[in-house]
Amino acid sequence: MKKIILIIALLALFPGTAPADQSYLEVTAPGNRQLQLAVATPVPLSGSANTGIAKDISELFRFDMTLAGPFTVMPTTPTDPKSGIRPGDFSFDVWKAAGADLLIKSGYTLAGTTLTLECRLYDVTRGQELTAKRYSGSITDMRRIAHTFSDEIMKVTTGVRGPFTGKIAFVSKRTGNKEIYLMDYDGYNVQRLTRNGSINLNPDFSPSGKELIYTSYKKGNPDLYRRGIFSGTEARIAAHRGINVTAAYAPDGNRIALAMSKDGNSEIYIINKDGRQLARLTNNSAIDVSPAWSPDGRQIAFVSDRLGKPQVFVMNADGSGVRRLTTSGAYNVSPRWSPKGDKILYCRQMGGFQIFAINPDGSGDTQLTSQGSNEHPRWSPDGRYITFSSQRSGRDAIYVMRADGSGQVMVSRGKGADSHPTWSPRW
Amino acid sequence: MRKGILGCVMVVCCGVIFASGCAKEELVKKEEPVAAPVAPAPKPAQPAVPREEVLPPQTVKEAPASVKEETAQVAPVSALEKIYFDFDSFTLSQASRDTLTKNAEVLLKKLSGKIQIEGNCDERGSDEYNLALGEKRAKSAMNYLVTLGVPAERLSVISYGKEKPADPGHDEAAWAKNRRDEFVIVK
Repeated sequence: MKKIILIIALLALFPGTAPADQSYLEVTAPGNRQLQLAVATPVPLSGSANTGIAKDISELFRFDMTLAGPFTVMPTTPTDPKSGIRPGDFSFDVWKAAGADLLIKSGYTLAGTTLTLECRLYDVTRGQELTAKRYSGSITDMRRIAHTFSDEIMKVTTGVRGPFTGKIAFVSKRTGNKEIYLMDYDGYNVQRLTRNGSINLNPDFSPSGKELIYTSYKKGNPDLYRRGIFSGTEARIAAHRGINVTAAYAPDGNRIALAMSKDGNSEIYIINKDGRQLARLTNNSAIDVSPAWSPDGRQIAFVSDRLGKPQVFVMNADGSGVRRLTTSGAYNVSPRWSPKGDKILYCRQMGGFQIFAINPDGSGDTQLTSQGSNEHPRWSPDGRYITFSSQRSGRDAIYVMRADGSGQVMVSRGKGADSHPTWSPRW
Repeated sequence: MRKGILGCVMVVCCGVIFASGCAKEELVKKEEPVAAPVAPAPKPAQPAVPREEVLPPQTVKEAPASVKEETAQVAPVSALEKIYFDFDSFTLSQASRDTLTKNAEVLLKKLSGKIQIEGNCDERGSDEYNLALGEKRAKSAMNYLVTLGVPAERLSVISYGKEKPADPGHDEAAWAKNRRDEFVIVK
C-alpha cells in the first residue's frame, strides 16, 4: 500500500508524464550525455568478507554496464567512510563529489553454498533509490544472479529489460572438430552440448530458448537436428539427400525455414518442428541459402546468387514478392532481421568480411565493423546488442557489441576457434 | 472530473505526509518489502547440465586430423584424381574435364563400387553459402561423369563447404588446393 502511495506521489511530482511508457532515461533526459555510473565494491551483509565474490560481482557489473550503452562506468570509486548499501547507511555526497550520476550498491551473504545478493541502484543526484532487489541462490549461480540485476537496471533506466542473463550458443573447434557449446553471454560457464566427433554447424535457438536446431554431419550427411537443451533429447528433423542447412526458427516457434537441396538445387523451404514440409519458397537454378525471418513472421531475407554473386534478397513468407535488398558490394551474405524489425544485419566480403546493417527498404546501409574479418552477426533478444565472430585476434572468437557497432569486445575465453554465436531469448 | 483529480491529490498529499511522518522508523522497514515480493529470487533455473548420450566418437572418414596424410596420397584412391575450381565458381575448367575423363575411365574399367563426390570450398567465402556451393561443385563433376557414361546410380554427392580444407594455409596456393572435388570410394 505504501508503495502504491509513493508511486502516486511520484506521479504528482511529474505531472503530465505518461508513467507507463516513460523510462528513467526519458524522464531525466540526459540527451547524448552518458550517465556516469559508479559500481561500489560489494560488501558482506553478514559473515566474513569474501574478496573473490566481491571482485567477481563488481567486475561483472562493470562489464555489463560498459556494454549497456547509456552509461560510462567510472574507472575508480571514491572512498566512502560509510560502506552500507541502504539509504541512510552511506553518504550520497561522496559519490556526488566524485561525479557519479548513478550508483550500484550491493551486499552479499554466503551461508554454506547459498548466496544472498542484495543490489540497489541509486540516482546520486537526487539521493533517490531507483530499484532494490534481493536474490538468493546457489553460489554456483552467482554470475547469473548478478546478471539478473544488470537486466533489472536496464529495465529501470530504459524501460526494457537487458539481455545479460541470456546465453550464447556457438560452434567451437576447441576439441579439434566443430561441436556446439553454450556459454553465458559474457563468455563464462561454457557447457558442451554435442559430442559426436563430427561437424556441427549453425545453431539457432527456438523462441522459447529451450531448444536448439543445428546441422550435423554425425550420420554422414549434413542433416538438421533439433535438441532439447535441458532434456538432451535430440531428433533428426530434416535428413533429405543433399544439404539440410542454415535453419532458422520462425518467431512463432512452430516453423523452421532452411535451405535444402533435396529437389536438386539449394532452395528455401519451410518445415514444421518435426520436419514435415509446409512450403517451398524458392524455385531457381541458383543457390538460395540462409533464410532470416522478420519478427512478424511475414517476410524472409535470404541469400541468393541468382544475379551472379551472392546478394541478400527479401521475399514474403509464401515465396512471393522477391526483391533484392543489398545493392552495394559484390558478395553479401548471412542476413539477420532485428527483433524490432527495423534493421537487417548482413556480412559483406571486402577482403575479409565486415558486418553491415541496412533498413528493410534498402536504405541506411551502414558498416558496423572494420577490424579484422567479422561474420555471423546475431541480435540480442532485445535488439540493442549484436554478437558475432571475428578473426581480429588471429583466431576465430566470439564478440559482442552495441547495435550501432560501438563497444566491440571479445567474450570468448577458450583457446579454440569459436564461431557462429547465437544469443538466446530470455533464459 | 476535476473533483476526482482534487481528491486524488488530496489522497496523495495525505499519503506523502503519512509516509514522511514516520520516515525515520520506516526507513529500514520500507526497504524490506521492496525486495521481498519481487524476490521470488530469480532462482536461476539451473541450466541442467545438458544430458549427453555417450556415443563412441564416430570415425568420420577423413577426419580433419587425417587430412594431411590423405594429401600424401595412397595409390588405390589416388586413381581418382581431384579436380579444382575458380573462386565462387562451380564451372568445370578444361583441366577438370580432362581429369574427369580419366576418372571416368577408371570408374568404368577398374573400379566397380560406388563413388561419393565431395565438394569443397576455400575459406574466403561465407561458410553458409559455401555449403551450397560445394554441392554445386560436386554435382558439376557428377553430371559430367554421367555424360561420360558412368551410371548415375554409382555416384552420390556431399558438400563439406569450407569445413574440410585440404591445406590449412591462408594464401592463394592453399585456397586453390581447397576449391576442389574429391572422389571417395564408398561401400
